[in-house]
Amino acid sequence: MNTPWTTHSLFDALKSDASADLGGIDLELVGGVEPTVSIVMREHGDLGLQLAVSGGEIFVSAPLCLASQVKNVAEFNEACLRLNPLNPLSNLGLQNVNGEDLYIVFGELSSRSPLDAVVEEIRVLADNTLQAAEAFADHLK
Amino acid sequence: MASIWTKIITLFRGAAHEAGTAVVDANALRILDQEVRDAQNALVRSRDDLAKIMAQRKISADKLGAKQAKQAEYGNYIREALSRDNRALAQEVANKLAAVEADIATDSKVIADYDASISKLQASARQAETVINRLKQQIDTVKATESVQRAQAALAANTAGTGAKLSTALDSLERIKQRQTERAAQLEVAEEMGKNQGEDADLHRRLEQAGIVPGASSGDSILARFEREQRPALSHESAPQLGQSVGATPDSVPKNG
Repeated sequence: MNTPWTTHSLFDALKSDASADLGGIDLELVGGVEPTVSIVMREHGDLGLQLAVSGGEIFVSAPLCLASQVKNVAEFNEACLRLNPLNPLSNLGLQNVNGEDLYIVFGELSSRSPLDAVVEEIRVLADNTLQAAEAFADHLK
Repeated sequence: MASIWTKIITLFRGAAHEAGTAVVDANALRILDQEVRDAQNALVRSRDDLAKIMAQRKISADKLGAKQAKQAEYGNYIREALSRDNRALAQEVANKLAAVEADIATDSKVIADYDASISKLQASARQAETVINRLKQQIDTVKATESVQRAQAALAANTAGTGAKLSTALDSLERIKQRQTERAAQLEVAEEMGKNQGEDADLHRRLEQAGIVPGASSGDSILARFEREQRPALSHESAPQLGQSVGATPDSVPKNG
């Protein structure tokens, strides 16, 4: 079995491994003790993703919309729950960011995943997030 | 163990009334850490119990072994006594064997009980290990989520002063639409320019045809040019000197382009 990634080693590998296809993906390592990789998807309308590795898990998250942008929260939540099982590789969730509720689309994969699987996850997550945002257009202000 | 979900849900319910919900993750971690510790303590306890019971089982099994040896020995004595027609002695040994066999039955029952306890404890130790691994996984998830959430909060804080909202997929969709519009506009402009150039080219071609502007070189025009060069050379007997070429007609100088 290969060695599990840390946020640092994964960032370094993404930056230096020529086999990783990072076309349209900008990366930046942010933070000190528990760093994250801040990702900007140039071909996905500059969608910003956050990636962090913790122990056995790589977590990648994309901001879908703010709760304040939702017309009817109950209806939207139901739509999210119904969409979630149909969404390949990504999940929908709700998080509080600086006192504001943020709907997120996120994916988790093993920290022993090969590099190209991580890149694939990043692209799929960006695709899914934009598709979800489009699909939910009627629910949003 | 199932209560872990309940505890975390209760946390969220409590957090809805509080100002900061970052507390939730910290508390979730605290709960998970506590669960891991509890599960690890339970694991240590069941392993201790297991060790004790296995030791007791060994003692009982050794005793049973000794009694079974006794049983075989007494059996041999009885057979021997009967073969020598000493029925009284055989009867005496048989009474002792009866007591030994009663003991063996009791001990076998005790050992079977120990075996049942051992397999129960082994199962619960395996379960505790599974629970611990799952909880550790959950801790990883919470920690990763927390890091990402913190990063998002930092991004939000950066935009907070500017009056802009945290950028989401909706903004990205908007950006994509805008870029598509821009690209469409660029294409339109390029197309328009291309059409204009086409119109210009058509006009130029017609001007050329009318002989108003010079056209591209053709065989005829090249031949005409050489013929014009020849004419002044024929009118002089000797080769023209260097200075004389200055006075030559512009036609005689080969044109470039």
